[in-house]
Amino acid sequence: MDTERHKLHNLHNLDSEIVARYTDQPPRLPAELRRLIEASWHGAPVQLYALADLDHALRLTHVWVALGPGHLSVARPVDGGARWEIDSVERARIQAVREAPGLSASTLTILGRPGDPPLAVLRYSHRQRRAYENLKFVLEEALEGRAVTAPDADQEYVASVAGPIRDAQALVSGRQVAVIRRLLGYLTPYRRRLTLGMAAATLITLVSLVPPYLAGYVIDRVVRPAQEGRLDTGHAATIAWLAVGAMALVYLVRQAAALLRLRLMAVLGEWVARDLRAELYEHLQRLSLAFFSRKRTGSLITRVSADTDRLWEFLAFGVVDVSLSLVMLAGLGAVLVSLDWRLGLVMTLPVPLFCWAIYRHGEALNRVFLRVWRKWSRLTDVLSDTMPGIRVVKAFNQEAREVARFDGHNDDVTDEINRLHGLWTTFWPLLMLAVHATTLGVWVLAVPRLLGVGPALSGGTFVSFLLYTTMFVGPIEVIGQMARTMQRATTSAHRVFEVLDTEPEVTDAPRPVRLEPVRGRVTFENVTFAYDGVRQVLRGVSFDVAPGELIGLVGPSGGGKTTIVNLIARFYDVTGGAIRIDGVDLRRLETGHYRRQIGMVLQDPYLFHGTVLENIRYGLPAASLEQAVAAARAANAHDFICKLQHGYDTVVGERGHTLSGGERQRVSIARAILHDPRVLILDEATSSVDTETEREIQEALERLIAGRTVFAIAHRLSTLRKASRLFVIADGRVVESGTHAELVAKPDGKYRRLYEMQVELA
Amino acid sequence: METTAVRRRESDEDATPAGALTLERRADGRLWAVLGEVERAVWVRRCFPWSEPARFVSLRDDEEREFALVRDPADLAPASRRVLEEAMVAAGFVFEIIRVIVIEEEVEIRHWRVDTRQGARSFQTRLDAWPRLLPHGGLLIRDVAGDLYHVADPAALDRQSRALLWAFVD
Repeated sequence: MDTERHKLHNLHNLDSEIVARYTDQPPRLPAELRRLIEASWHGAPVQLYALADLDHALRLTHVWVALGPGHLSVARPVDGGARWEIDSVERARIQAVREAPGLSASTLTILGRPGDPPLAVLRYSHRQRRAYENLKFVLEEALEGRAVTAPDADQEYVASVAGPIRDAQALVSGRQVAVIRRLLGYLTPYRRRLTLGMAAATLITLVSLVPPYLAGYVIDRVVRPAQEGRLDTGHAATIAWLAVGAMALVYLVRQAAALLRLRLMAVLGEWVARDLRAELYEHLQRLSLAFFSRKRTGSLITRVSADTDRLWEFLAFGVVDVSLSLVMLAGLGAVLVSLDWRLGLVMTLPVPLFCWAIYRHGEALNRVFLRVWRKWSRLTDVLSDTMPGIRVVKAFNQEAREVARFDGHNDDVTDEINRLHGLWTTFWPLLMLAVHATTLGVWVLAVPRLLGVGPALSGGTFVSFLLYTTMFVGPIEVIGQMARTMQRATTSAHRVFEVLDTEPEVTDAPRPVRLEPVRGRVTFENVTFAYDGVRQVLRGVSFDVAPGELIGLVGPSGGGKTTIVNLIARFYDVTGGAIRIDGVDLRRLETGHYRRQIGMVLQDPYLFHGTVLENIRYGLPAASLEQAVAAARAANAHDFICKLQHGYDTVVGERGHTLSGGERQRVSIARAILHDPRVLILDEATSSVDTETEREIQEALERLIAGRTVFAIAHRLSTLRKASRLFVIADGRVVESGTHAELVAKPDGKYRRLYEMQVELA
Repeated sequence: METTAVRRRESDEDATPAGALTLERRADGRLWAVLGEVERAVWVRRCFPWSEPARFVSLRDDEEREFALVRDPADLAPASRRVLEEAMVAAGFVFEIIRVIVIEEEVEIRHWRVDTRQGARSFQTRLDAWPRLLPHGGLLIRDVAGDLYHVADPAALDRQSRALLWAFVD
């Protein structure tokens, strides 16, 4: 429970941080106002609250509405927010709550007796909508005589406002530096290789400084003295050849170090990326369904693939490039200034300016990239619209219009990309011109000195200078793009760390219980459940199902049937009440072991990429071929599998052989039969197939369900005639239960009405 | 009022006698529509909020069913028309951006700080959620919570706002 509290506390803090950082509203009801409201209620606590951020003239404001056990209060700021005007009404006077939704603002009217003026009228933007849905739910439940209390008013409020931002953004605690530091932490296991790689890279940087120096040395100390006769030719040739040899050695060492650095860092980066991918995928498998319903599948796939790849690039090269470019610039500056401080300053002073220019250029490119990206997405929208809908295009003879639409967007994209080319093709020659201008500055200052006017300057030093100037451009480019490199890496790191930092919502108790064997008794004790906020999807559901019973769950869509089976499979934990399996609270069971006792056959069965055999053995990879064939026979799947060219070895799933809906369903039933679950869930298992296939599947299902506890959801009521009992689920409750015959016999029964409607339609 | 201006909900056509539609704001603060002998508390939805905002207004009851469709408010009696137009203001409300102060990209979201006719506001959009170009040349931005922000004429904004919006305007 402490862990639960800790998780909630962290989430609450994160939500508060989001509200404070991204919205213009307080992260909670002001403490002073809360005190005033509670005082006016004689000490009763505020149980739920929301902010009405629009006034009656639709201007932004901060009006608070608070709900207590006996009162509802509306607090408006007066005197510029210095005081509050609080209007309270007794909840007993509330007779109805009505919401009028608008484009970007909704109005909630709280009504008393018919014909009386409204008790409160509140206007709010969509940002506050979830908080008002909570408020409306609690008030409407109270009107029905049911009390719903939010566990923590502050938490509900802040979660309702922060929710959409939290779901849209991979937000991890800590700023950029902390994220980069955490990322670098992944290098720790490979520190030996990292040290070697860094040493090699440092060596490359340092030895790169040697050839220009040697060139200057040879000119000043060998060539000129030899030409002027101050050094004999033999001795000069020896020194010159030694210098050439040294230069060869330098280049050899440099390239050897480059080889070492590239190989070590590339491999090291790959290992870190592998570690991240493995950790990420393993963690994703542990996360609860709630996380997957919040995040888009495409975004999760990108995190495991593209983001880890980008991090590889950063760790393998970015870190080293950036740090060594800094070292190189510092080294170059020091060498140039020490060779000749006047010329050195001419060369080094403009460097920050060049870095800044590259940074600004990057920003300008970003803005154009944004336009390119926007226009690209329009172009791809046309493609993703028309390719799947090509039959409609042709049927309505709209090919010419679609071609014109595509051409228009294609031209737009080309114009923007050409704008981009215009930018960089102008910038780089200009930057190089500026670098050359600096070099020219060196020439202008150096030439008089070379000719003997002003402080002396040797020809060798000057040549060294010229060679060093060519080495400036590379590091300047890296430093100029450093902000962008860091930004890209931290974005990817955020997206990866967000997944790693998300705690599974369903976790095992400290000492979980293993039921061996599971008999299959399923008991719901006053179960309530809400996916978010306080709006309950299940409201006090109770039933007791004996082992081996077949329970049919029927009722309108959105009534709570799927939620019940999701809770039985423990994809979520109940919000209130308890679910017991063989008398033991589900939350005390070892989740992995318990799930092995659960089987599911869904409306749209999912087959993984692999052979038919692998799919059948998915839950029990060690099953023998005989067992797999027996399961397929029982599922009425053996015959059609044998007709496939590769039989059980046929590759199915995405990019594999396409099976029909009925065939996939029978493979999934075979999978469930082999899995041999004690509790079986059938969710609309026969709803999307033709009558003949349905008969075959029904037959297979009857073999599958024998001896197990079964919960079957079906809209086609005829498929549930053999059910031991039927539960009619509506509005989050079990509104009727009994056998088919008992329910049909009820004169005003919901089931009877549903059944009669289906018989009439048939 | 011409009866052709208002079309009642199909299922009510047999149940209620034809008659002129009147609208009134009653003491309970709600908008009431009266059609013949049938009256109902309604709220309004503009059918074409951007291409034809002043016409085709659907009057909907608490069960989200259409009670009547007003093709043109000009066809209503003046009192009803006034009440309807007031209700349409609230129903068609969106934030009107008059100045863009900051647009910053963060991890997976774009953060906007703007001045609107309604006051200062910060909001966030997904990076791939592009502003929508409206038929009249305006710009419509939808934030992650579903709130809408309208720029009536991007070219009429101040220089800084135009520069910030440049990437989002054709």
